[in-house]
Amino acid sequence: MHLFLLGVSHRTAPVELRERLDFSSRDLGTAVQALAAHPAATEAVLLSTCNRSEVYVASDDPLQAREEIVGFLADYHGVPADAFVPHLFERSDGDATRHLFRVAAGLDSLIVGEPQILGQVKDAFQVAADRQCVGPLLTRLFQSSFGVGKRVRTETALGEGAVSVGFAAVELARKIFGRLDGRSVLVVGAGEITTLAAQHLHTHGVGEIVVTSRTGSSAEALAAKVSGRAIGWDQLASAVAGADIVVSGTGAPRPILTHADVQAAVSGHRSRPLFIIDLAVPRDVEASVGSLEQVFLYNVDDLQALVHENVSRRGAEIDRAEFIVGEEVTRFGSWRRSRGAVPTVVALRRRFEAIRRSEFERLGVKLSGLSPADRERVDEVTRLIVEKLLVEPTEQLKALPDEETQAAYTEAVNRLFGLRDEASEIDRSIDRPLRRS
Amino acid sequence: VNLLTLALYAAAGVAYAIHFARRSPTVGRAATTLLLLGALTHTFAIGMQTMEVRHVPFANPSRAVSTFVWLLALSYLYLEIAADERAMGVFILPVMVGLQVIPAAYPGVENADPVLDSPWFWVHVSSLLFAYASFALAGVLGVTYMLQFKEIKKKHLGFFYTRLPSLSILDSMNLRAVVIGWAFLTVGVVVGLIWTAQARQVAPGDPNLQAMWVGDPKVFIALVTWAIYSFALVSRPTLGWSGRRAAWLSALGFVVVMLNFLPVSYFVETSHTF
Repeated sequence: MHLFLLGVSHRTAPVELRERLDFSSRDLGTAVQALAAHPAATEAVLLSTCNRSEVYVASDDPLQAREEIVGFLADYHGVPADAFVPHLFERSDGDATRHLFRVAAGLDSLIVGEPQILGQVKDAFQVAADRQCVGPLLTRLFQSSFGVGKRVRTETALGEGAVSVGFAAVELARKIFGRLDGRSVLVVGAGEITTLAAQHLHTHGVGEIVVTSRTGSSAEALAAKVSGRAIGWDQLASAVAGADIVVSGTGAPRPILTHADVQAAVSGHRSRPLFIIDLAVPRDVEASVGSLEQVFLYNVDDLQALVHENVSRRGAEIDRAEFIVGEEVTRFGSWRRSRGAVPTVVALRRRFEAIRRSEFERLGVKLSGLSPADRERVDEVTRLIVEKLLVEPTEQLKALPDEETQAAYTEAVNRLFGLRDEASEIDRSIDRPLRRS
Repeated sequence: VNLLTLALYAAAGVAYAIHFARRSPTVGRAATTLLLLGALTHTFAIGMQTMEVRHVPFANPSRAVSTFVWLLALSYLYLEIAADERAMGVFILPVMVGLQVIPAAYPGVENADPVLDSPWFWVHVSSLLFAYASFALAGVLGVTYMLQFKEIKKKHLGFFYTRLPSLSILDSMNLRAVVIGWAFLTVGVVVGLIWTAQARQVAPGDPNLQAMWVGDPKVFIALVTWAIYSFALVSRPTLGWSGRRAAWLSALGFVVVMLNFLPVSYFVETSHTF
């Protein structure tokens, strides 16, 4: 059984082609079922995101599997094979494992370390598993990839640090306030940039969103979008006092929130910090506001600098993440090898035991003179001899260094002892409980 | 046993530091396990001493320090498990290891004055030690708050920013630790007063008992401590002293506590043995 991967990604194909081969917008379940109906694709998973469409199969015959997958892609998407075959990349066995692990770790993403991909890999597997399209090999492969994604996330800073201004602002707010629910946000200005920021905060579950703008109608329009409420421009100063987070982005030529305004807002018995995000150029908030004790003031350049720092920090973490991927690929490989020898080992043991038993029964007449206790002893001794004979070959078969060597050795053992039929039957019976009927 | 405890705490401290720097969950779990083992051997040591002298050992400074470290280990473990947050370990463990050196080096002899043999006295000492352990946690939370506050304020998000919990969590954990510490401090001081009054009736001629009043450095600093933490609690709702100022107060309070606990115990003439 081999692992085989065929697909297109942002590294190999332009977006027009990726769109045409995209599965995510269509019924992924039906697609994976259709694919798994092909004889060479015994197990199949389809991973489709906006940056990639990848087909993972477990197959006895990778060459035939490749043909069938290409045919399937062409049929399913109605795209002539010639149009996409030059853009396909393919991997098998160890390389396919490494590829999936890197994808799950976010190492193959357009923005390295972005967190969504792990969820998408999980979903892709779940869809295939729900339709009984996966067997033990892909199940183990994908579950290991979830582990890789988790390890990379917890043990490296690859996914850490926001790489967009909006995320950087939300991350800072989290660091200051902990959870964002229940925190009230004041949005000053209803232009494009504040709209984006407000929507971003809204999706991150902040409490109340209050919008104010010089033109009341646009404030109301934005408030409606983020289920907030609009207030008049003249209430700006008092609204600052009630807010935890202020997002400002007006086109005003000079600061609209002065040191005195903000000082008045945070004086008195206010004990909460105030986080002011000034997205406007020229700035809406006087720089000296940042020196007020409980106020954290960040402008566009500050956030941009954070993003920049995060991007380079992620770059530095890539090596550590690749190292984890390497470790897990090795671990998965040794699991596969130990498992690859199992059918032959089991068949060998059954064969030896059958010979021992039949000899023992054949000698039954000659041994009838012995007492039951002695007969038991003979049984025990022969059993131990067989056991001991098998210990070494069993260990050796399981410990072979790589897949090709192992395939050669198991094949040799199968042939020497005439085990081929029996071994492949055992192989199937191991897989059967998980495989589709 | 004291040395083994110290070694385990030191190992846990190193593991917490590695965990903090590299953020490997495995090392983090190892750190917690080492600390748990340290706390267990420590419990065993204190249990043995208790059996030996028939009360919890704290009638001499070294043993009191040991008991304090033990309470701190338990409180910290509680905090770690309750908040599911290991980042504080790297700050707490050095305090524990530093203090635990004292009992490991000078075990001291438990030589309790019979006049101390009263349940009031034991309540007095255990409440105070527990209060000090809470203040130690609060102090560490305060210091970490200030470190992170500074990074966010200066817009230089670096080492601590990526490793510590959010400011609001640090602040609320700090508040909780101060409330608990303050309650036990109050109980400890009040019980101390009651006990002194009672003991004076039993042994009117004891010069130590005569000296136990506000003029005694130990008692005086304890009252200063009480004042600091009371202020920390009152200023929060009335003056809005939370966050950075509360953090600063709890760090200051802990410095005073440590001052009272160590130099005053060992070097200043006082009616208290520690």
